[in-house]
Amino acid sequence: MEIIEEKKGTVNTFTLQGRLDSNTSQVFEKRLFDAISDGTRNVVIDFKDLDYISSAGLRVILKATKALKREEGRILLCSMQDYVKEVFEIAGFDSFLPIVPTLDDAIQSFK
Amino acid sequence: MENRSCFAFELANTSSELSTLCEELERIGQALKLSRRSIFEINLAMDEIFTNIISYGYTDQAEHTVRVCVSADADHLTIVVEDDGVPFNPVERLTPKVPDNVESCKIGGLGIHLVKNLVDDIGYRRCDGKNILTLTKTVETT
Repeated sequence: MEIIEEKKGTVNTFTLQGRLDSNTSQVFEKRLFDAISDGTRNVVIDFKDLDYISSAGLRVILKATKALKREEGRILLCSMQDYVKEVFEIAGFDSFLPIVPTLDDAIQSFK
Repeated sequence: MENRSCFAFELANTSSELSTLCEELERIGQALKLSRRSIFEINLAMDEIFTNIISYGYTDQAEHTVRVCVSADADHLTIVVEDDGVPFNPVERLTPKVPDNVESCKIGGLGIHLVKNLVDDIGYRRCDGKNILTLTKTVETT
C-alpha cells in the first residue's frame, strides 16, 4: 500500500493506494498518529485509489476518529468506491463518520 | 452435479499468506467470471476468517496448514475452510450491535460481523480435531 500525505493549510490529506488490510494497517496507523502527535487536527482520507479494506483498516480509522475527537479535531473520508463504502455501511461506521463524494467536498467542509 | 467447478488451495499460518489468499481468490474469480464486487466481498470474508485463524487459532509456534476449497454452482459459491487450530465457532459469536455513534463503537467482533453480512450462510462443525467452516454466497458474474 502507498500512503501519500499532503498538508494544505490546516488540513492533512492522506491518499491511500492499494490494499488496507492487517498487513498494511500498522504502517497507516503510525503515519496517522504521528501526524496527530505533531498537532494535526483536521484530517481527510482520500480513498480514490484504495481497492480494498478489511476490519483491520476500519479499526485504524476508528482509533484515529476517537483520538481526534478527544483533541477537538475532525476526520473526513472521501472518494470511496462503492464496494469499499459498503464495508463502512455494514460496520455501521457511516453513522458517525462523514463520507463525502469528492476531495473538494472534504476540503471545502473545513473552510 | 453438472457444471460444478472446484478449486482448492492451501495456506500456511503466516500473515504474508494474505497476499496468496488474495491472488488465489482473484484467479478463481476470473476463471468463474465473477464481478469485481463479488470477488471483493469473497476476498474480504476470507481475509477476516483467515486473519482470525492465524491470530487466535494456534497456541504453538509450529507451522500449520489452512485448507480452502471453493466450489461453484450456477449462481453461488460454496467455500470450505479447514484448520487444525483450537476449537472456534464463529457462528455462535454474537454479532455486535451496529453502532450509532463513535463512543459506542467497539473494535472487537468487527471481522466476524463483516463475514456474516457478506455471505448468505455460514456453518460450523468440529471434526477430527479440525474446525470446518462452510460459507455459501450468491455471486454475480460478468
